[in-house]
Amino acid sequence: MFKRLIAERTGKSPWLFHINAGSCNGCDIELVSVLTPRYDAERLGFKLAGSPRHADIVVVTGPVTKQSLPRVLRAISQVPEPRCIVTMGSCPQSGNVFRGSYSIAGPLSKYVPVDVDVAGCAPKPEAIIDGLTLAAKILKEKRGRMN
Amino acid sequence: MTIVIDALQYLGYVLIFPGFLFCFLAGMLLCGIDRKLVAKMQKRVGPPILQPFYDFFKLCGKETIIPAAAERNTFMLSPLVGLAALVVIQLFIPVFGFTAFSGIGDIIVILYLLLVPALAMILGGAASGSPYAGVGLSREMVTIISCELPLVLVLLAVAKTVGGAIGTGLCFSLSQIAEYQEVNGSLITKISMLPAAAAMLLLIPGETGSHPFDAAEAETEICEGLLAEYSGAPLGVFKLSHAVKMLSLTSLFVALFLGGLGTGILALDAVLLFLLCALITAASISFVHAFTARLKIEQIFKYYWTVVSLLAAVSLALAWYGL
Repeated sequence: MFKRLIAERTGKSPWLFHINAGSCNGCDIELVSVLTPRYDAERLGFKLAGSPRHADIVVVTGPVTKQSLPRVLRAISQVPEPRCIVTMGSCPQSGNVFRGSYSIAGPLSKYVPVDVDVAGCAPKPEAIIDGLTLAAKILKEKRGRMN
Repeated sequence: MTIVIDALQYLGYVLIFPGFLFCFLAGMLLCGIDRKLVAKMQKRVGPPILQPFYDFFKLCGKETIIPAAAERNTFMLSPLVGLAALVVIQLFIPVFGFTAFSGIGDIIVILYLLLVPALAMILGGAASGSPYAGVGLSREMVTIISCELPLVLVLLAVAKTVGGAIGTGLCFSLSQIAEYQEVNGSLITKISMLPAAAAMLLLIPGETGSHPFDAAEAETEICEGLLAEYSGAPLGVFKLSHAVKMLSLTSLFVALFLGGLGTGILALDAVLLFLLCALITAASISFVHAFTARLKIEQIFKYYWTVVSLLAAVSLALAWYGL
């Protein structure tokens, strides 16, 4: 019974950890706007965690610069299982306008399995919430597979 | 035979009614009500009231990472020590007429036990070997010291008022305080007790480490400080301790200032106690949380040792001269 309780609840309380991998700050502001009174993602249980150890979903913004890549990978590996990785904005997916630059190591999917991509420059808050709820569903499935 | 029945009764106290199960359910519900109220005050929809339960069960299902630099046993056991101390406090706090354990020095025991959860957090944080926990640790210690002086003054003021009335000098027994209030009405109706009640209301957010006084767990600057390295079930137990601490402090407030006849039926009394606790949480934690920003640690210290201590000292002086 306890196991079922855990499995059922995992999708209902996804905590986010936000990593800025060389982002222009546009996506970061949009992510914060999701938590404001207008969109209020906390009604779905989303909460920004201060430490990667507390998080379930890692949100990566920015084109993953060469300088930030080792830090991003280290922060992601500190998130306990089950975890989901969400890329936000076009940059971590394709490199966006920075594609081909000497300082870019991305896309992120070359290094870690990415669960959800939210495209846009910057994505609309509605799109972000949609992507995050999808990630929460995947999180629940991953937890179910752990048993 | 009577020993067996007594033992079973005490086991029931510890595990079910004022003890573990009640603490778990009531504490988590209080926490949920607090989050919902804060959201409503900020014009948000807010999480469901059962959200703390979801968080707790989710954390139980997560992987627990023990850092390589951590002292393993201390790291894993300190959350349990903190929670156990809080459950014991709840056993000493009377539910109107009913007390699970009563003695002549309950208040002093509670004063000591209230330190244990904070000390457990400090121990666990120190054992995790994280520099963020180091910063959080020093801040948590300062917060404890700031809260201690006004708390002692409030408790002395209550002890003197009740002790003076029943002629024992100082009365440190919560069950006697409850009996006194059953006969003479709640202590909050006395003018001399009003500043002490106000001081206690201001103390509750500091003791629980909730919003303006959460410098020790500042998630935006020091990654939640003492909890930075915790994950999975131990983190869940710390979150549970935080919720139960809200229940302990608010029910201590009810026992000290809002005691009275109750309804005479234990189950109804428990519900009444919970409703009063929720009311006090709303007034002293949620309301303050919704419109304040985090204070710096030296501001917390100064605030408690001047404004709040002064309020409590006024009450103590009034009680001393029998007003």
